[in-house]
Amino acid sequence: MTKLFEPSLPKLMEALATEAQGLKGMDRRNFLKGGIAAVAGLASVQIIPKANAQPNLPPNIPEWQTYLGRGVVAKPYGEPSEFEDLQRRTVPWLTADAQSSISMTPLQDLEGIITPSGLVFERYHGGIPNVNPEQHRLIIHGLVERPIVLSMDDLRRFPSVSEIRFIECPANGGMEWRGAQMEAVQFTHGMLSCCEWTGVKLSTLLAEVGVKPEGQWILAEGADAAGMSRSIPMEKALDDALVVWGQNGEALRPEQGYPVRLLLPGWEGNTSVKWLRRLEIGDQPWHHREETSKYTDLMPDGRARRFTWVQECNSVITSPCPEKPLRHRGFLEIQGLAWSGKGKIKAVDVSFDGGVNWQRAELKGLVLDKALTRFSLQTQWNGEPWLLQSRAIDETGYVQPTLKQLRDLRGGWSIYHKNSIHTWNVTEKGEVYNVQIT
Amino acid sequence: MFRSPKSGALTVAFLCFASPALVAGPLGIGETATPEMIAGWDIDIRPDGRGLPPGEGSVADGEGLYEAKCASCHGLFGEGAGRWPILAGGEGTLDTAHPEKTVGSYWPYASTLWDYIHRAMPYPAPQSLTDDEVYAITAYVLYLNDIVEDDFVLNQETFQEVKMPNEPNFYIDDRPDVVNTRCMSQCADASTFEIVTTINGVTPTAHFKEDSGVAANHYGNEAATAEATKVALSDAAVAGKSIYAKACNVCHGAGVAGAPVTGDAAAWSERIAQGMATLNKHAIEGYVGKNGVMPAKGGNMALADEEVANAVAFMVESSQ
Repeated sequence: MTKLFEPSLPKLMEALATEAQGLKGMDRRNFLKGGIAAVAGLASVQIIPKANAQPNLPPNIPEWQTYLGRGVVAKPYGEPSEFEDLQRRTVPWLTADAQSSISMTPLQDLEGIITPSGLVFERYHGGIPNVNPEQHRLIIHGLVERPIVLSMDDLRRFPSVSEIRFIECPANGGMEWRGAQMEAVQFTHGMLSCCEWTGVKLSTLLAEVGVKPEGQWILAEGADAAGMSRSIPMEKALDDALVVWGQNGEALRPEQGYPVRLLLPGWEGNTSVKWLRRLEIGDQPWHHREETSKYTDLMPDGRARRFTWVQECNSVITSPCPEKPLRHRGFLEIQGLAWSGKGKIKAVDVSFDGGVNWQRAELKGLVLDKALTRFSLQTQWNGEPWLLQSRAIDETGYVQPTLKQLRDLRGGWSIYHKNSIHTWNVTEKGEVYNVQIT
Repeated sequence: MFRSPKSGALTVAFLCFASPALVAGPLGIGETATPEMIAGWDIDIRPDGRGLPPGEGSVADGEGLYEAKCASCHGLFGEGAGRWPILAGGEGTLDTAHPEKTVGSYWPYASTLWDYIHRAMPYPAPQSLTDDEVYAITAYVLYLNDIVEDDFVLNQETFQEVKMPNEPNFYIDDRPDVVNTRCMSQCADASTFEIVTTINGVTPTAHFKEDSGVAANHYGNEAATAEATKVALSDAAVAGKSIYAKACNVCHGAGVAGAPVTGDAAAWSERIAQGMATLNKHAIEGYVGKNGVMPAKGGNMALADEEVANAVAFMVESSQ
């Protein structure tokens, strides 16, 4: 049976030194302190029992039933219960500041496949611009017959569609390329969200301006401080690209590009340019900063892949996970999320022994093109340790790869597009740890 | 029934209402984008130089501009401060265990540098540089990377001479590159497994504690700032708060480039002792001290002197 052991001391110290090189000053000292403490003995997650709540339990009448509650429109725009702790969270040592940074969706706390708008992961390159929709314009120009400028009112006159699609940052899981780092599914997989988006097909807007035959590329540019820009090939623009103003039934949140953004289903989130102000049609790509210096994948031979747009098939178990350890023996429904930038999820398998044997899981609820798909496996847990994994297969037949397969081909420095099978180590106590099998 | 003396016209009108024609071509929505509108927003530059405006800048011009507007984050020699991007060096490291991706070692096109500096830099004051300044700073960053000589002058013509060494090493995405199979049993040999755990201490775990009652705040400096702002502020400091958030917090919030962190009384006491006149002068005109560089107006030259002074008042009063 599987032998479970911790990394050797020299190996751990080497890993620490490698990681610490990227950190300076206090970050680095705190990091090393934490790491060295870890060498002495692995800390465990403490499960503190909940405060005694007996006065409200039967046969007593609950306290909140003994007086009138809040009335209508006390909170005209509602919010979650004060007992919920639903939050986007970030890893502060990852970036230099909060304006050019990222936060993650709490996948461990969510149900179904829709991400509430307030919990959609954030990624900014120059903070959130405070765009006044009355004064916002989208210009479409370049190799077109009729360059146009559109107000938000104009945009809403076009025929609209609503579609459920995921958005994933290509750096999702990027902190795990060289080794397991994050004891939380929010940090290993939370650069991922799925919403219903409403807007106009980009192909409709392109028909409006009349693209000239030599127009093969589109530059999409945001109205943020970074003027975020990406080159989009015409084929994708005419396939399933949208220009959206609606998100989960209301206007886009400022964090997601209010009042209007591009949405390229299944492609790395960075290409879905937010606060969209300009689309220029040209005959070749622009090779801007976010498609050369960043969002290119460094390979072990020192060369780099560019235009790595598609988010390949991926999956992760969200219950249990480090934030949601097992608290009960007996019946257990394992749940997780699967997604593919190439279409629908066809199947998901679950392994309890680190990938030696697999069982087919059930797909729950809606199974949509380029959307999060929830899977489930009903089982029993009676205190046995597990190396729990999920493996998704999409409708193209692509099977989510192992970490070893990815590393053998891509090394450890490509940052982006780590979609390998993820492993949770469930201990006899029901604690869940992030581990990697090498 | 509606009646009209001209029954023929009625029929035509009625048909139009009942069945509006579907338009195959343009819907006629929106206004024509005029050349003037487009010129104001069309700022992109391509590798072939398309989009580069008239103007020029030399390495020598760029040195002073770079030190005043860029060095506080990117370092005097492009070595980077804190977690801000390293701009120079790293040649020959891309296939090693510690690849360093810089303008010189990694970026495939010089046009990207001009485009990005122009659209997004300096970080707190994007699109504030003149075209000549962008040419000069671009030339200087290329010089820091040994791509041009110290007498180089960058303009539309000389741009065509610049070749980035790493250009040939990019290739189009060739995924799918891994082929896994859907094996269901005895797919791996468990006796060969090595299970590697995480390095403790790097995951933010404040929110794991139950009943803490406190929202996880991952930005300790923001907490310090919030605490500091509880003191009564002068009118100038109140006016300066939003300027601070816009132009100063980038460095003074996190202590980048030797900047004293707002709310850190120890770091500020020596500075406050120099008097407000000196602090304002340094903030407005720029200052090179033993700990780091204060760019003039934080690199945001659009700010009025009074606005900068108000922001200084906010920082000082929040740090006593």
